[in-house]
Parts: sequence; C-alpha cells; structure tokens
Amino acid sequence: MASVDSPAGDVIVFAPKASKPPPPATVGVLGWFRENLFYSWFSTATTVAVLYLLYLTGAALYQWGIADAVWEAESRRQCLDTSPNGACWAGIITWFNGIIYGRFPHDEQWRVNLGFILLFLWMAPFWFPRLKGKIGIGIMVVALYPFLGGYLFSGGERGWFMQIMVTLAITGFINSWLHVILSVVTGRTLAEWIVDLTGFTDKHERLHKWPRLGFAAIIFAIVYFSLRNWTLLAVETNLWGGLFLTLVIAGVAIVTALPGGIVLALARRSHMPVVRVSSIAFIELFRSVPLITVLFMAVTMMPLFLPPDVQLNKLVQVIIGVCLFAAAYMAEVVRGGLQAVPNGQYEAAKAMGLTYWKSMNLIVLPQALKLMIPNIVGNFIGLLKDTTLVSIIGLYDMLGMLKATGQNPIWIGLHTEPLMFGAFVYFVLCFAMSQYSQSLERKLKTTL
Amino acid sequence: MAAVIERDSKGSRSSFAKIVNDERNRSIFYQILVFGVLGWACWFLFTNTTANLEARGMSSGFDFLGSTAGFSIAWSVIPYDPTDTYGYVYLVGIINTLMVSLLAIVLTTILGFIVGVLRLSHNWLISTIAAWYVEIFRNTPLLLQILFWYLAVFSVLPRPKQSIDLGAMGIFQLNNRGLYFPEPLPDDPFWMTMVAVLVAIAVVYFLAIWAKRRQLATGERFPVLWTSLGILFGLPIFVYLVTGSPLEWSIPVLKGFNFQGGTVLPPSFLALFLALVIYHASYIAENVRAGILSVSHGQTEASSSLGLKPGWTLRLIIIPQAMRAIMPPLISTWMTVVKNSSLAIAIGYPDLVAVYMQTSLNQSGHAIEIVAMVMVFYSTVSLTISAGMNYYNERVQLKER
Repeated sequence: MASVDSPAGDVIVFAPKASKPPPPATVGVLGWFRENLFYSWFSTATTVAVLYLLYLTGAALYQWGIADAVWEAESRRQCLDTSPNGACWAGIITWFNGIIYGRFPHDEQWRVNLGFILLFLWMAPFWFPRLKGKIGIGIMVVALYPFLGGYLFSGGERGWFMQIMVTLAITGFINSWLHVILSVVTGRTLAEWIVDLTGFTDKHERLHKWPRLGFAAIIFAIVYFSLRNWTLLAVETNLWGGLFLTLVIAGVAIVTALPGGIVLALARRSHMPVVRVSSIAFIELFRSVPLITVLFMAVTMMPLFLPPDVQLNKLVQVIIGVCLFAAAYMAEVVRGGLQAVPNGQYEAAKAMGLTYWKSMNLIVLPQALKLMIPNIVGNFIGLLKDTTLVSIIGLYDMLGMLKATGQNPIWIGLHTEPLMFGAFVYFVLCFAMSQYSQSLERKLKTTL
Repeated sequence: MAAVIERDSKGSRSSFAKIVNDERNRSIFYQILVFGVLGWACWFLFTNTTANLEARGMSSGFDFLGSTAGFSIAWSVIPYDPTDTYGYVYLVGIINTLMVSLLAIVLTTILGFIVGVLRLSHNWLISTIAAWYVEIFRNTPLLLQILFWYLAVFSVLPRPKQSIDLGAMGIFQLNNRGLYFPEPLPDDPFWMTMVAVLVAIAVVYFLAIWAKRRQLATGERFPVLWTSLGILFGLPIFVYLVTGSPLEWSIPVLKGFNFQGGTVLPPSFLALFLALVIYHASYIAENVRAGILSVSHGQTEASSSLGLKPGWTLRLIIIPQAMRAIMPPLISTWMTVVKNSSLAIAIGYPDLVAVYMQTSLNQSGHAIEIVAMVMVFYSTVSLTISAGMNYYNERVQLKER
C-alpha cells in the first residue's frame, strides 16, 4: 500500500476504488454465448447455419423414428401399410429376444441372466472403497468364473473335472461375498474372523492359512454334496447367439488378451534371441493380417492342423483365433508401456537384488500397465467391435442376429431399424468403457 | 535374472548351484526349452497337416495357379473373364483391394484432418459436433457401419429409371446398381498429354528445390505455389489442345432399364468406401487434434512475437511440429484401412479375401497355399508401410544435442 506524506504532513492512504462490474455482455449465459458462438460475423453465420442443419436432421429423425414410427405390427408389410415413411420398431420388439439371446431356448434363458448377474456380483467388490483382498477376488473371478459361467451357459452332464471346478467356483463366490459382507459390516476380514474364532490368533502367522483352508473346505463340501445331482439341460453352442454370444467372445478375448500380451511383450524385450525372435514373428504375423483372414484360418485350417480325432466346435475355433489375434495386439500396447517406464526403474530393481520376475511384477509392470490404461481399454473396445466379424463366418452374434432380422421372410428387408438399434447398443457399451477408462485415468493421475 | 549366490554349509560355493544360477546357463536352458517346444509344435502341426491332406486326397503345391478359375467376379478394376487363371484372380483381388483402400486412405485423411481441426474450433457448436462425430463413429463397429451403408442406404436407392442425378448435369447417376459416371476414352495421341503431366510434375519438383535453395541463400521468396499450379495445369492442357483434344468421354445414358456407356462403381464398392472413410476419419481426427495440442503454446506465442501472421504461424510453426506427432498414428491408420477393406466380404465387394480366400479356396481346395499367399500380400503391404514410417520417423526426429 503506497502512502505519501502530503505537504500538510498528514498521511494519505491510497485506497483503490471498487472495480466496475464487467460489461453485462461478457458474463453469464449471454457472455458465454457471445464468446463461444457469436464472436464474429463469420462465427455467427456458421452457428446459425449449423443450428438450422441440426434442426432439419433432428426433425427428420424425430418424424421417422418417433412420430411416424410403428410399434405394433405382425409383419413388415403391415408396418409399411400403416406408415410407409416411419420406422418399423415392431420388428425390433418381435426380435428383441433373439437379438439378445440368439436361439438360446426360452426356458433356459434365465441361466444366461444368472451367469451375467453372478459375474457382475462377483466383480462388484472392486468398486467398494477401502476393501482388502480385492486382488484375491480378482484372481478368483478370472480363474474360476469361466467354469461356472461355462457350465451355466452350456449345461449337460458334468465330468469329475467340471464337477470340481464348478463347486470350487461357487465356493469362491460364497467366500468372496462373506468376506465382503463381514468387512463392510464388522470392519474385519473373513480371514481374521476365522483365525480368531478357531483360536489361532496367538499361533505363528504361518499356521493361519490352515483354519482358512479348512473353512473353505467345509463350504466346498457343503456345496459339493448339495449340488452333486444338480444338472442343467445341455444347450449346444450353435444355439448361442445375440448380444450374449458377443459378450462371451469379447469377454474370453479380453480376459486372455492381457496375460497373453504381457507374456509376448516381455518375450519381445527379452535378451534371449530365440525367445525374442519367436515372439516378434508371432506378433508381426498376427498384426499384419486382417482379423477376418485369421478367422477364416481358424475355421478352415484348424481342422487340418489338428489330429483327425480332435473335433473342435466352431465357436471354440473362433475364440482361439480371436484370442491369438487379441494377444498380438495387446503385446504391442504393453510393450509401449514397458518402454515408457524409465530405465532407472529397471536398474533400481536390479540393484535391489530382485529377480527378473519380481522386478517385473513389483516394479515395472504395475507402472507400465498404469501408463497404458487408455490404450488397453481402447484395445478392449476394439475387440468388442471386432467380435462382429464372427457373423461373416456364420456365427449368430448380435450383428448376425440383426442381419437375420432383415432376412426373415416376415420382416424381409427390415435392415435400417435393426442396424440402428445395434449401433446404439454397441455405442453404449463402447462409450461406457471409454468413459470409465477416462475416469480411471483421472483417478490414478497417470501422466507421461 | 539376478544370480543368487548360494553357499553350502561349509561356506564355499557349491558348484552345482553356481551352474544352475549362472545367468548365461539359464538363458541357454530357457532358449533350448522354447526352441524345443516350438519345434515340437511345428512338427506336430506339420505331420497332422500332411496326414490330413493325404487322408482327404488333397494335393499341395502351386500348380493350381495356372488352371482356369471358371467363376465370374462381380466387378474388377482390370478386365477379368471366367476363363482366366487362379493366378490372375489373385492379381484381380489385389488390385480391387488396393483400389478401394487407396481411395479411402486419401479421402479419410482429408476428412480426418478437417474434423480434427474443427474439433479445436473456437466455436463451441462446431467443436461439439466434431467431438460427437468422433465418438459416434469410433464407438460403433466398422462392419455394422458397412452393412448400414450397404443395406440401408445404397440398396434402397431408386431403380435406374429414377436415378438420382448428382450435380444436376446428367452425367453422374446414382441408383441401386451403383454410381454411373463418364469414362474417358483416350485416342492415340493422348499419351503425349500424360507425358506432359509427368514432365510438369518433374519441373515443379525441381522448381521447389531451386526456390528453397535460393530463399536460403538470398532470402528472396519465389511464388512456388502459383507457379507450380500454373505449370501443373497449363502444360498438360497446352499439350492436350495442341495434339487436337484426343480424349472423348463415354457418358452414361439411360437405355431401357439400365444405363449404357460410362463406367460404374457398384453399391458394394460405394458402401465399403464410404464406411472406411467415415470410420477411420474419426481416428485420424483424434490423432490430428492430439498432434496439434502437443505443440506447446509457447511456439505460437514466440511466432507471433516474431511478427508472423496467424496463418503463417499455423503453416510454418505449428503444422510442421504437429506432423511429427500425427504421422506415426496416421500411417498405422492407413495400414488399418488396408486390412479393414477385407470386410468387403460381408457385402460382396470382390476384394482379395472374397475372391481368393473364399471363392478360389472353396473351389480349388488349396487352403494352405491360398491362405499363405493372402498373408504374404497383407504382410508385404504392412511391412512396406512400416518401412516408410521408420524412414519418416528417422528424418523428422528431434535432433537433440
């Protein structure tokens, strides 16, 4: 604060006047409009023109999709007779079940729902804040859920292996949720409770695993004996279809792509020439050809490669093809992450005396994967979109069912509406994934 | 692998542990293991395949390339006849694939740059629309988009009699059989015009080099752009007129139920082309936007403080630096365009995969040879493109001292 001695000797303190309010045209809604839409005659002209175009498109879409649309009809003919220029959503409504479940038998569709609900419930603990043991739950989901889901979807008699794996999966699910409920309600984990109640608290920590394993074994036995004779009707995979099949293929591919990609990427950066060269050959081969050729190969050539007594069904062949392809692409993403981790990290890990696998698991990979979250999720989105290609080789995934709608004699020629609907569903799935990855990225604050 | 030194009870190194924990020995062991497993896998596949081929009575070898294909191809860039050989079918497929991919690459790059720049527009409405364009087309499967264009747009166009007249001059006709447009029919002396085009390109190339050298040496600028345009258009047109306008156009004319004359791009081509352009433009737009944003704002400020006009700043400062970030993903998008053009098979555009890997494979049964040939083509394309990319990267890399 400047102060000046006036000639008279009293001190004049400089007091600034209150600043004037900004001109009304630069603040508030009006200011925002002026700044972002009408800041010059050219921008005003474009804004007006674009608004008019938007209005025209929106009005046409509304007229076609809602105002003139037909919601109830028996056939496409009837749709066209009722309203020749409107959308025929009746076809979508009739085919909705097929678009979601394919030709999965109606009475068995609860199994698909149950399978996805169980998966969702099992993964739900990931979004609980401050929950211990998330990694354990994650490993259980990845290792055990495929058996449970696979049995729910395909059904049939269980061999001894499937019997054990399905029981294990259910045991794992029960354990996970007991753990979650106890942790949230009492603030102590399931393991701590078991150790306490069995009086193992004062024993050496190394012994603590025994009561926990015992508890799991009891649940295993209970589940095993109560579900021993429980069987589900077998549903052949050629009846699988719709969004359900899309999610199955994409899910398997996503789950296998990341570990496969990590192994391939590490192999590619290995110092061992044989390992490196074979990894490069695999990655470059699969990355240089289109997915559709890989799928064709999987369907036409895999039977040639395998012994005559091995019969794979088409879905398995396709999934193998998609997984190999996805792993090759993921490998390059992971490699990008590995390269972005500063060399000092590798050297520090080595200087600490960590073995190769320890330094990778504890130091390098966590940083590399974190850096690559946007790319990894982008890859997953690409995979989900790429599953549509299986419709070309005759599987009825969602796109296959959408196409089938327009080829059905009753709804013949109904293509626009199913494809619009399908585009909407795919968009919602992919957009949600990309938004989630962005929020994850912000949460982990990854910046290169 | 960090070697852990183990000592036995006497404190001296046990020689066995020394051998096991030696990094070199381990690496040799692992490599032999990998080699063995891979070798076994190859041998397993090879014996199975030969046994299976024998059991099915299928011959192998490339002799079939010389035999007559016998099927017709809906549309091809180079003339094709069912009496041609499988080897020629391979060529037809390759050229059809390259035709649609190259055209799509050119247009998708232009569209992508436009959308990417619009995404950074100061006008909120424009940048929001560009952002939604990117989100919508990037988050729906390409195959679905291709089918949409094919089934919902190009297949429901009117019949030839009610063709849509694009440009209102009657020479571009769009109907459910495709897009009809005039076909140039060059007469004999037309080759001189083509030579003139080549000469003009060469002249412009050397002119640009000379102008740059002169500017570096003397600081004088030469109007390269306008001179080049003049030479590029003027010289061929001059030659064309002097040689007596040796070019006629075959214009499509409606006769009966269909058009005669001109040439046609089928709906499958149009659908595939449009879907490829629109889908990949959304990826390119994101790259362009990221590239432009990656140039630090200080560059813009420095250039304005040097007194450069905004247009010059963009052209001389920002774009050259942004290109360094834009080029690598751009080129890999081009590669993806070539690979994704194989989705043509879903709508019956006869690309390489459709005519060769499907029709030819089903007819001749030479699965392994045909799949290998198709893979060789795609690998060659992607290796060529990535070699070009490496060359470019080396040239534009920041030379840090």
